[in-house]
Amino acid sequence: MKRYDLIIVGAGPSGLSAAIEAAKRGMKVLVFDENEKPGGQLFKQIHKFFGSKEHKAKIRGFVIGQQLLEEADKAGVEVVLNATVIGLYQDKEIVVRLGETIEHIKGDAIIIATGASENMVTFPGWNLPGVIGAGAAQTMMNLHGVKPGQKILMLGSGNVGLVVSFQLIQCGCEVVALVDAAPRIGGYGVHAAKVARTGVPFYLSHTIVKAEGEECVTGVTIAEVDSHFQFIEGTEKHFDVDTICLAVGLSPMSQLLKMAGCQMEDNPKRGGQVPICDEYGRTSIPGIFVAGDVSGIEEASSAMIEGRMAGLAAAEYLGYMEETELDTKLQELDAALDGLRQGMFAPKNRGKEIRETEEGIAVSQNLLTHGYIADDEIERFPGFTHRKGIHPVIECTQNIPCNPCQDACPKGCISIGANITSLPIAVADADCINCGMCVASCSGQAIFLVDEDCGDGTATITLPYEFVPLPEAGTKGIALGRNGQKVCEAEVVAVKSLKAYDKTNLLTMRVPKEYASTARFFRAEA
Amino acid sequence: MATRIKTHPILGEIEKGRKVTFLYNGKELQGYEGEPIAAALKAEGVMVHRYTKKQHKPRGIFCAIGRCTDCVMVVDGKPNVRTCVTPLKEGMRIETQYGVSNQPFEEQ
Repeated sequence: MKRYDLIIVGAGPSGLSAAIEAAKRGMKVLVFDENEKPGGQLFKQIHKFFGSKEHKAKIRGFVIGQQLLEEADKAGVEVVLNATVIGLYQDKEIVVRLGETIEHIKGDAIIIATGASENMVTFPGWNLPGVIGAGAAQTMMNLHGVKPGQKILMLGSGNVGLVVSFQLIQCGCEVVALVDAAPRIGGYGVHAAKVARTGVPFYLSHTIVKAEGEECVTGVTIAEVDSHFQFIEGTEKHFDVDTICLAVGLSPMSQLLKMAGCQMEDNPKRGGQVPICDEYGRTSIPGIFVAGDVSGIEEASSAMIEGRMAGLAAAEYLGYMEETELDTKLQELDAALDGLRQGMFAPKNRGKEIRETEEGIAVSQNLLTHGYIADDEIERFPGFTHRKGIHPVIECTQNIPCNPCQDACPKGCISIGANITSLPIAVADADCINCGMCVASCSGQAIFLVDEDCGDGTATITLPYEFVPLPEAGTKGIALGRNGQKVCEAEVVAVKSLKAYDKTNLLTMRVPKEYASTARFFRAEA
Repeated sequence: MATRIKTHPILGEIEKGRKVTFLYNGKELQGYEGEPIAAALKAEGVMVHRYTKKQHKPRGIFCAIGRCTDCVMVVDGKPNVRTCVTPLKEGMRIETQYGVSNQPFEEQ
């Protein structure tokens, strides 16, 4: 039987990160992945990531995927693709299907990084062709360049539902509604806001009654639900759609761990059946480690840190590094991971209703229930100020772990401070030079450069724009408000697409000055 | 209706293999070599991949990552092929699956 120091199951963000750390310490590492290509779900993530520099913030997911693959290659990690691991036994023997053969391979240590699978909800017609998972939509559009549908209803307002809705619009689909049975939006407000301002209506406390169609989806009916999630009669709404996208959470794929005899628990906070493990991924069986979503649903940035931790822990377990060195390394990673696990959306706050920010400011309720900040709510946040001349207006109103805007500004116009979940503040005595770096660096697309009074009765607003076709200067159209409704006439006066902006174009529109604080999106007149 | 994304604001031009012809229920269609069969069918507007054995209900793409098996079809005579993770090849014969057969139920 072949033998390796370390066998990792899953070549996604956590598995690759673990492999890199272990291989760097001289271990012979083999990674199995059932897919045709490595990288897990990273290559479907085309948005800029959150966090700070150490978390690769403001880099797009697929670019992080490329970087990880290069790093793994350099470290000498061996990745075997189209390899489905079908068994894991207590003495760390792995059974893997390679093509039409079954092989047994032994690892002195094992890291399970199998990730998660999408949850489903059932309703009449839920299995009709045209009802798809949000992950399926991402796979079709971002990997294979095929639109998942033309007119789409999204169920689920967590970050996946919000991000995928935005990506659907980016590839030219129409999102007719974003629906969630919960009374409040589950994902980041900034993700909701960038969808809402394009005109997508949000229906919270609503869910799907039925999908319609004989051979495939031709429509959908939703209705409002009460606090016990029962339909309220007479609240039905119909939409003509060809696709219904489900983004209703993820479940850890922990079957191999259960099979190996690891102690398991059913923990809804971590997403379901998960192994009992310490913070570095050590399970109840010495030498079997876990990393990433399989040990509790989070996101790719934390999965990569967990992977590095598990890789190091495995190296120490087999004597490839000293315990003292491990402790120092883990301390650094602990700090990085802890940074990501702060703020309103931290795992510890899951399910809690938070009414105030860390700064003691009342959270925008409209953002939570409709996807956008109401015009009379925005004034109370520290990123929103009125000044003479061009200045950044930062509509980031929830405590999320993210701070690229602070680093992006060469003039110190934006301050977050040491605590990366703090709300960004528009610094009063700093001078904006209109470079646009803050607008492009904001992963939540929540920063605008505004000149409230150009002296001729107009104002200009520079906004992030990631759609095609890109309007040219001189294009006339309408300005939309945060709610996606028409505010006024607008004209594009400048479009900047610098390499440093990384595909986020900066579109500057001119509007009558009374709309400086409400116009937030541009639509060319068709 | 155009279902192929021509230019993407972030991804630009999406890299594809060479154009190949395949047979869908005997009809010639085109797709790109190496892309999943399901992607090629989706681009051609095919929604129904199979009908269930007992209740004869239509099924199509659901997870698109080889997990749910809803999208299986008869490929080159072999039933239960997961079209979302099977790369398209020139001349492939792809057929709607009825139960586990390529024969419509009334002919089984």
